[in-house]
Amino acid sequence: MTISFTVNGQPQEVEDSRGADRLIEYLHEDLGLTGSKFCCGIGVCRACTVSMTKGPNATAEPIISCSTALSSLHHTSITTIEGVSDGSALHPVQTAFLEGFAFQCGYCTPGFVMASVIFLDWLKDAQIPKDQLDEAIEDAIGAHICRCTGYVKYYEALKATALEVLE
Amino acid sequence: MTNKFEIGSRGGVTRRTFLRTSTGVVLTSILRPQALAAEGVSAQAENSLSQVPGVATQRIDGYAKVTGQKVYARDFNARDMGPDWPEHQCHAMFLRALTTKQKFLGIDTDALPAAAKRARLVLGNELSEAQRSPRLSASRDPSVDQKILARYAIKPDQEGFDRPSAVLFDLIVQPGNRPDFLGQAVALLIFDDSAGLRDAQNAMQFQDRLFQVYDEAVDPAPSEDRIFYPETTYVKYAVDNEVFDYATANPKAYSGQVDAYRSKIKERLSAIDGLVRHDFKSDMCAMDPMFMEPEAGLAWHDADRKTLHLVLGTQSPDGDVSEVLSMYREDDAPFQIDRVELTSCFPGGGFGGRDKSPFSLMLGLAAAFTKGRPVKLAYDRFEQFRVGLKRHAATLEGQIAVAPDMRLQNIEMQLQFDGGGRKNLSPYVASLAALCAGGAYATPMANIYANAFHSENVSGGSQRGFGGPQAFFAIETALDDVAHEKGWDPVELRRANLIAKGDTTVVGGPVKQSLRLDEVLDAAEAHPLWSERTTLQAEYAERGLHYGTGFALSLQAYGTSGDGMVAAVLLNDDGSFTVQSDAVDMGNGSATTLGVVIGDILGANATRVDMGCYTLFGQTGLTTRDDTGHRWANPNWTAKSVGSSSACLTALHQVHVVQQAAQGLFLATILPAARAFWTMPDLTRDDIEWIAGALHMKLGDAPPLPLGRIASLARELNLPRGTLGHAYFQDSWAEADFHIGGNLEHLILDGLALYHSDSETAQPVQRQNAFGPNAQTRRYSRYVWAPCANVVGLTVDRATGRVQIENIVSVLNAGRVHVPELVSGQSQGGVAMAISYTLHEDMPPGMSGPANGTWNLNRYHVARAKDVPLNPRYSVGKRAQELIILPESQSDQRQGRGIAEAVMCSIPPAISNALKDAVGVRYTSLPITQDKVLEGLQK
Repeated sequence: MTISFTVNGQPQEVEDSRGADRLIEYLHEDLGLTGSKFCCGIGVCRACTVSMTKGPNATAEPIISCSTALSSLHHTSITTIEGVSDGSALHPVQTAFLEGFAFQCGYCTPGFVMASVIFLDWLKDAQIPKDQLDEAIEDAIGAHICRCTGYVKYYEALKATALEVLE
Repeated sequence: MTNKFEIGSRGGVTRRTFLRTSTGVVLTSILRPQALAAEGVSAQAENSLSQVPGVATQRIDGYAKVTGQKVYARDFNARDMGPDWPEHQCHAMFLRALTTKQKFLGIDTDALPAAAKRARLVLGNELSEAQRSPRLSASRDPSVDQKILARYAIKPDQEGFDRPSAVLFDLIVQPGNRPDFLGQAVALLIFDDSAGLRDAQNAMQFQDRLFQVYDEAVDPAPSEDRIFYPETTYVKYAVDNEVFDYATANPKAYSGQVDAYRSKIKERLSAIDGLVRHDFKSDMCAMDPMFMEPEAGLAWHDADRKTLHLVLGTQSPDGDVSEVLSMYREDDAPFQIDRVELTSCFPGGGFGGRDKSPFSLMLGLAAAFTKGRPVKLAYDRFEQFRVGLKRHAATLEGQIAVAPDMRLQNIEMQLQFDGGGRKNLSPYVASLAALCAGGAYATPMANIYANAFHSENVSGGSQRGFGGPQAFFAIETALDDVAHEKGWDPVELRRANLIAKGDTTVVGGPVKQSLRLDEVLDAAEAHPLWSERTTLQAEYAERGLHYGTGFALSLQAYGTSGDGMVAAVLLNDDGSFTVQSDAVDMGNGSATTLGVVIGDILGANATRVDMGCYTLFGQTGLTTRDDTGHRWANPNWTAKSVGSSSACLTALHQVHVVQQAAQGLFLATILPAARAFWTMPDLTRDDIEWIAGALHMKLGDAPPLPLGRIASLARELNLPRGTLGHAYFQDSWAEADFHIGGNLEHLILDGLALYHSDSETAQPVQRQNAFGPNAQTRRYSRYVWAPCANVVGLTVDRATGRVQIENIVSVLNAGRVHVPELVSGQSQGGVAMAISYTLHEDMPPGMSGPANGTWNLNRYHVARAKDVPLNPRYSVGKRAQELIILPESQSDQRQGRGIAEAVMCSIPPAISNALKDAVGVRYTSLPITQDKVLEGLQK
């Protein structure tokens, strides 16, 4: 029995015996993908957030890779920070974070990027009223911890990107 | 990224090699850029800092970070380190002491899980003396620094908070000994692979008592907490033309005189009619820096090359390497090494917690037990909480005395800092707190005593603010209480006592900078958050909310009592520039700043910035040894090589040395190239100007000289391709003349070296006519200041005790702002950390706290976005934090100020003052948790 899933489009097959291993360990140790960051290890800080979809038309959702067992990933598609950029072109929210000086030490940044990418994809379809945007952003990234920035520039950059999506 | 920041690139790794000399001193210097993580990756030219000199449009390290590249020590495994490294690595885990009251007897190996049984177990008695406690073995001896001073013949005037960084107590407790502090290692386990480590961690986590064995006998009389050397006493008496203070007194007589002046202070105070005496007391628990990346690193003993390789993210690379080296320099070391090769990685946050962290030693120690295989040590968050350096728990009490005319007469304060197990920088943190006890005020008298003491708790270190947050909290809440008692306006009380240029601090050192504190007060007072506070309170009350406004002021010093720094500026073959600095960018943006501050001088920003170049000093030809006592007259002497990195050292100190090195490059290379190009041997700097990356003659129609052509001319004419400068600041800068570009040129440097085209290393230029600060000014403690006032508006839920920060206005004197986005970012980060520290971050001492190994972010609350006002501009009805930066003035002399701590320091007292305004209760114990708020309300 194997657990089958993809990471950034690449098929993965893992023996069932490794089902209890955490996704972040698999990403770091087996694949060398260290962009998803280990911080608290108990699913609180969300620095390790990656995107998961299950099924062909499913909506992506954020999952906490430090607290997600491989056994739960059968038939899912995982996207990590390494899979966000399209070649050399950055995702718009990456550009916004970069040009907005949104991050400092940057260790939490991949988690913020992943949550934001998922949020912006959702927003394209949801098209919520602009006066509900602040609340929606809080729902999307409010649980993420950053120790350097005070969050202000992350929120500014994501809001600016989100407004472009709504317009 | 690790050390090398290239515009928009995915980074790379720069290795530095530290060689061991016969004296054991770390010297120097192979700059050997490695593209380990960046092989085949070219720079993203479109992501440049900016084409506009002096302007940054993004962080120079931003691309690597926003795309999740390998940039932190934790990201690297041996297989990432290039073909020289073995691919297979071991993994290390330390077991941590559970008590200081019973002897540790050993590990019950039968009780270990299978994975741990397969691991190599190392106990303290297997370590050599040098490994157990590098530099000097000592058992429970807080005065060990005095012994080290004697052993290494370090003179008292060379003492500083970063030398020597004594390591107290065994790194691993020897069986039969009582642990010296909680969390001290009692055993090391080496695993063959990550699976073994993981299995053991899963089985052993939170189960220490099952396999750690202690003597049943409990020490009936645990040792008293003892004070780390040195203690700080500042007694100041400046009355009626009589002046006595620490800074100007005879150093040998000072201690013997302070009691007499304490008596004089008492007499003087008792003679003042209507004197207001206000007693105060405050306390705060320890705080975890909670940088996001738990400490991690690699070590490998390459026996063939007699080299120890380290991969680390540290704020103090040179110090860490020196201490690791010291483990392997004694005769009893398990192996001898000639050098340490450091891959200095980008720290995933620092805030002081990576400054001389014991982690580096623990990693270096592990390398001795892996039989030549690389070893990875990676703390998880539980372990990071358990052993990582903390901001000190502290108690502060005293009395301020104010005359009826509002003039401050005396500040009396005793400050005690719980240094925890290891000394680290604790007494120097207490010392700066003693300076900060004077607040932003001029006082004729002061009686201040501060110490840091050893305890069983987790070690304290140089956390953001370095003692300032504790001291400003005490003085600023006390002043508000005096204003309240007397019915004085709290801003007016402060205004009546502002310290200014020409005054002296509580230490006695002169203030030589223009502070503009009056302008800071004016701006804060005029802001509607303060000026309309009564109306706002009434409006909130109409909504059933308890609202209060608080004000506080701080004057945080930046830099240390003597700072050395070094930087190189190189002209590349394509006409672009590279900047190299000894500083580490912890996220504060120093790499970006240093890349743009050469723009005005050299016509373009740097395209590449190398950080953490701690090997540069070895090329300057300078030494800190001064056997003759000639000081600045000795052409090779400087007062200090380089120090640890802090965010506050960028804006003035690091920028200065980079700009002076750039000036040197202009004079040594660019001007001679221009003279040759235009065949004008008398051409001066005043004749030319930079326009769009090319030199232009101000007059006439001579063709422009682009940077690319300057670079080729430099090669043709054999002109230097770069300059390396060393600067020293201690009240004033050291300055000297250097023969470069055919002339004797004056630079504000004490060392200059040139990179010639045929050499990898720089060749020193003999300095002439040097002068610099005298030794006495070192007793001033600090010389430069970053003033900031904060106004806080908050609401209190009387039912739950919950406090919400509604608005903050910060008024900051930042001097020249090099990169506005970085300054506002530091301010915003400081606001969040201050709110978090003041209201949320609660950490009991002893085994009730993180030393028990069960603490993580589920119980240690750090501020989330909802805890922080997020709008950057104040408007009624929105939660906002507005930063007002005083416009640059002539008095700033085009210099920036280190502001990374400034905004944070006065927020905790402003919050307490706002709480007093909102509910009438004074809270002086941090953190002011909901429980404490409720408790106060019930009183």
